[in-house]
Amino acid sequence: MAAADALLTGLPVSTLRGATPLLFVLLGECLTQRAGRINLGVEGQMLVGAAAGYGVTALSGSPALGLAAGAAAGALLSTVFAVLTVAVDADPFASGLAVWMLGFGVSAFAGTALVGLRIDGWMPWAGGITPTIALALALVPVCGFGLLHTRTGLRWRAVGESPEHARAAGVTPWHYIVAGVLVGGVLSGLGGAALSVDYTRTWAEGMTAGRGLVAVGLVIVARWNPWLALPAALLFGLAEALSLRLQAADSAVSAHLLHTLPYLASLGVFAITCARLRRRPGGGAPAALGALLAR
Amino acid sequence: MKLPHRLARLLAAAAFAVAPTVASAASTLGYIYVGPEKDYGYNTSMDLGRQFVEKTLAGTKTLHVENIPETAEVEKVMERMIRSGANIVFATSYGYLDYAIALGKKYPKVAFLHAGGLKLGDNVGTYWANSDDAMYLAGMTAGAVSKSGKLGFIAAFPIPQVVRSINAFTLGAQATNPKATTTVIWTGGWLQPAKEAEATNSLVDAGVDVIGEQVDSPMTIAQTAEKRGIYMVGKDVDVSKLAPKAVLTGASWNWGPTMVKLVREIEAGTWKPSHVRGDLKDGTVVLDPFGAVVPEAVRKSVLARKGDILADRFVVWSGPIAGQDGKEVLPAGTPMPMEQLESMQFFVKGVIGTVK
Repeated sequence: MAAADALLTGLPVSTLRGATPLLFVLLGECLTQRAGRINLGVEGQMLVGAAAGYGVTALSGSPALGLAAGAAAGALLSTVFAVLTVAVDADPFASGLAVWMLGFGVSAFAGTALVGLRIDGWMPWAGGITPTIALALALVPVCGFGLLHTRTGLRWRAVGESPEHARAAGVTPWHYIVAGVLVGGVLSGLGGAALSVDYTRTWAEGMTAGRGLVAVGLVIVARWNPWLALPAALLFGLAEALSLRLQAADSAVSAHLLHTLPYLASLGVFAITCARLRRRPGGGAPAALGALLAR
Repeated sequence: MKLPHRLARLLAAAAFAVAPTVASAASTLGYIYVGPEKDYGYNTSMDLGRQFVEKTLAGTKTLHVENIPETAEVEKVMERMIRSGANIVFATSYGYLDYAIALGKKYPKVAFLHAGGLKLGDNVGTYWANSDDAMYLAGMTAGAVSKSGKLGFIAAFPIPQVVRSINAFTLGAQATNPKATTTVIWTGGWLQPAKEAEATNSLVDAGVDVIGEQVDSPMTIAQTAEKRGIYMVGKDVDVSKLAPKAVLTGASWNWGPTMVKLVREIEAGTWKPSHVRGDLKDGTVVLDPFGAVVPEAVRKSVLARKGDILADRFVVWSGPIAGQDGKEVLPAGTPMPMEQLESMQFFVKGVIGTVK
């Protein structure tokens, strides 16, 4: 009983906490990909967001300003990806890797001044909810409704399916692609800042530890649907919380095995949805993305 | 004064002509770190050592490279450093040892100093320090301050150095609270701030009120502990500035003097590769200042035990020590041999968790 208590006390909020930074990035990458680009640079965008967010919070004393700075830094770095893949039509995968490395380097360089600075983030509200959790949850319907039920969303999706047809219908594709990349930049920067300012109250070089790439992978699990981004992020958050809480509750399972839980769970859902969507080509992927992969 | 000194050095060099040393005036030292030099943790402690050497030994040049994984890449980095003039290489992470030994054969005139491990080469020695005494004293503090008697420990990987810390922490806690237990959470990585924060939260939710740690840097755990209103003891560097309410004390490194001594020996030609080991007594390990919350009586009893350790009246790794299952691992009155210490793969009684 005591072990079960230790496992379950705080598990829901723990899941939410862990899912929050990921949810921001996942929503952003979802919108980027629906406009027809895969941006692997989100890892770097998260890192500059985390560093900028931490630095501005330390300087101003305001975590809200920190989040804004993180979003701005993420957006700024994503313009590099936009310029590379839209203006000069560079390979999106190579461009994404370049942005990732750039973000890592810039944040590490600027971040050395931040190590050892102390910040006071938000005190959690009742139940352990913090403003970043609330913001991430609120963004799910905004992105879901905006993409799937508005005229702008329809054009956005049309560009992702077929830029040629969208152009024939009077839409300028690159406007939407750039918007998609920038929104992805804002949200991944926010995710990074949520991680450093609210979740960990730490800046450490390379602190995202692959979470940006996890988000890129989870877009597939979420079937490119912002509404499904929520359960996908929660699944990962739950699995990670469990991997730590099972240890705190003295389970006999090897910790090495437990650490694979978040990835196993995501892979499991991925396999199931793929099997169920076999008859639908692409399984919900924007067609223009498929073309990117096929070339 | 200068000439005889040089002459003495030359003579020493001649006498030790077989020894793989370079008796040049000033050395160039190459430092390799596994993580960021400014991590406010393990790598920072090594870099503080580097800065101390540079300050203490006039004319000594140092090079340093950060974020080098424990793979064949470190060989390339060492070779690059040697080509840039380094004649002494400080390989500061545990997993560099085999690469250092391999390169030592290729560059017999370069001296390699590796952090920990039990292998030597003709020109490869190790340096390390036993932080268990300080961890034991920090554990005593933790056990005395804890109200629930439930302690936690967040650590990266179940390697011997970490297992020793967890055991020393627990033995110390049991010296002030015989019923104290330590619940262990492995994060599976040296630098995983998100997991460290969530591991701290998990332990707090399970009723733990003091946490020990051995990950790259104590900073995330310290900040999260303060946010949740519990206490922690640090390791590697003192982070009390970041979380003054949460940090009780800690076990910090002070590598500078050991490094200076080794460099001097190498320059004088008297160095022979060996396993150099420091401890609380010689100052390589420091018990951090107590946080404001630690009561006077607790400080007194911890410092009294520290005095016993410094005067050899008390030995942490001395029997009777019981394993997790209660069976005796070390009989009463027996000190634990160094080989057994440095390959420790068991938990003592009172630790909750697995070493697998």
